[in-house]
Amino acid sequence: MLKTFKEVFIILVISVIAGFSANALSPNGVPIIGEYSDRLAVDSTSKSSGVKQEKQRTKEGFIKPVNIPVDATKKFFEEGAIFIDGREPEEFSQGHIKGAINVPYKEFKDLPTENKLEKLKDIPKNKTIVSYCGGGECEISIDNAYEFAKIGYEDVNIYLGGLLEWKEKGFPTNN
Amino acid sequence: MMGLLSNKYFQILLRLIIGGLFVYASLNKLFNQEAFAKAIYNYKLLPSEVVNILAIVLPYIEFFSAVFLILGIYKKGSSFLIGGMLIVFIIALTRAYVLGLDISCGCFSLETVSEKGDISQRIIEDILMLIACVLIFFNADKKNFTNNNKEIQQ
Repeated sequence: MLKTFKEVFIILVISVIAGFSANALSPNGVPIIGEYSDRLAVDSTSKSSGVKQEKQRTKEGFIKPVNIPVDATKKFFEEGAIFIDGREPEEFSQGHIKGAINVPYKEFKDLPTENKLEKLKDIPKNKTIVSYCGGGECEISIDNAYEFAKIGYEDVNIYLGGLLEWKEKGFPTNN
Repeated sequence: MMGLLSNKYFQILLRLIIGGLFVYASLNKLFNQEAFAKAIYNYKLLPSEVVNILAIVLPYIEFFSAVFLILGIYKKGSSFLIGGMLIVFIIALTRAYVLGLDISCGCFSLETVSEKGDISQRIIEDILMLIACVLIFFNADKKNFTNNNKEIQQ
């Protein structure tokens, strides 16, 4: 048994050293402690409180989507923002935020850029976009928002609360 | 039957299969910490403070255990570690299956598991691999015994 633990210990030490070194060198590395991605941090101070937020650019050069809480989402809804629902058509048809457009992430992500732009040609690049999905930490809202930002949309927001929270609040939906 | 299970060549075959599968499974995670962290996060099994550390280290534990297993170095330690990881995977997958976590959402970034059928298949695969690990673990020292026996017989 002692032999087993000794071997386990050696393998673990090698793995920990290699793992942390690789993380430091990897372009996809994560902070050791904290959220796996700053994509998840909800920005509750910006648009909801009327404070104009500076647009940040990512390393890749596109404008970073912003996470917004429910009150900001409602405000954008009233101002006529375009709501993008990233779920599958079957789920979308069972109910969605009123007026939302269905852009299923699973298919959308693999389209070539020109096809993405063609599909979205009716939505101007400077229009406020709110990306959402089912809620309950469903994450295609984030992934879809980044797809939009990458092809040049300038004001992309992520509503992580999703349909779940929207319905709980009793806000308008299409069923 | 026991003879076959502890047969030297059968043991090598088991080690190559399990080691090969684990090297393969670890490869696209070695430099994809963010995507793997997201996949772990989606299991909603661990506090978010632990998710990143696991995403940084776990692929390397998989990789090195598998490499050692293939090379036949530290067979006990590597099969113990792989078996331990498989037990954790089986528990996490079963829990995700029972709770129906996120499977309609396309939320698994590495997209290895997306349908409920895939999850059940993965659980069965993991159980089979766990059985193989147990066989490797308990036969890791057997080679010496067989040699000793041969020597005694001679």
